[in-house]
Amino acid sequence: MITTAEAIDRIKTRIGVEGPAVTAPVESGHVRRFAEAIGDPNPRWEKEAPPTFLVALAPVSLHLSDAEEYGQGWLNGGNRFEYFAAVMVGDLITAKGRVVDVYDKAGSSGNLLFIIFETDYTNQRGEKVARLRGTAIRR
Amino acid sequence: MKVQVGAEIPELVKHPTTRQLVQYAGAQGDFYEIHYDQPYAKSVGLPGVILHGLLKAAFLGELVTDWLGDDGTLQTFEVSYRGVDMPGHPYRCRGRVTRVEGKEVELEVWGEDESGKRTTVGTATVHMRA
Repeated sequence: MITTAEAIDRIKTRIGVEGPAVTAPVESGHVRRFAEAIGDPNPRWEKEAPPTFLVALAPVSLHLSDAEEYGQGWLNGGNRFEYFAAVMVGDLITAKGRVVDVYDKAGSSGNLLFIIFETDYTNQRGEKVARLRGTAIRR
Repeated sequence: MKVQVGAEIPELVKHPTTRQLVQYAGAQGDFYEIHYDQPYAKSVGLPGVILHGLLKAAFLGELVTDWLGDDGTLQTFEVSYRGVDMPGHPYRCRGRVTRVEGKEVELEVWGEDESGKRTTVGTATVHMRA
């Protein structure tokens, strides 16, 4: 197993580097299954995607295999969504993500490795619809 | 809609089950085993399978969009996960208006476990229509 310092060194070289763009359609069946899974019966989600749906369109983290050489498991530290336009059923969304920061912190049972990801989402008209920031914690 | 600083918005109580975690894993495409495989979850030091952080975020999203309706649009929505939650226990989602500046409204939102511990805390900002 590697140390958090080694993981940080490896992941730092990727900071700011865009991962491959992922393009996915916002399908009515997928949005319906997502709304059912979160247990939100709002009929609004027949036409529009609920606030956290974007995470279901593309992976929200990148370059994690290096981090997985450290510690025993992942935790999600937090998520921040910024919305610029509604995401509607029928939209074609492109997600582009990158690592924006990596650092460690002392935890109660060893160091915790924090990786901050950012993903930008644009629709088929090239309009930016949302930005997601996420904190993945390796412990 | 009348919005006043300090006012609580209607709460939402969710009843997550292991079945729901599997359903959510499929819908999001997050197949990390800590959310449905009990022996695996225990092998990495967890008390058992736990709720996806993003499922708790979705619960809080529902809390906010139920309250907001067509009266405005969500601008930002931020959540931090402060503790693990297990299926089979009610999860209580609450929120309170913390700032009103013209059409911009800020809410503090949080999810509580049965003991009242805030295991998810966050902020939502909305732009009111009229």
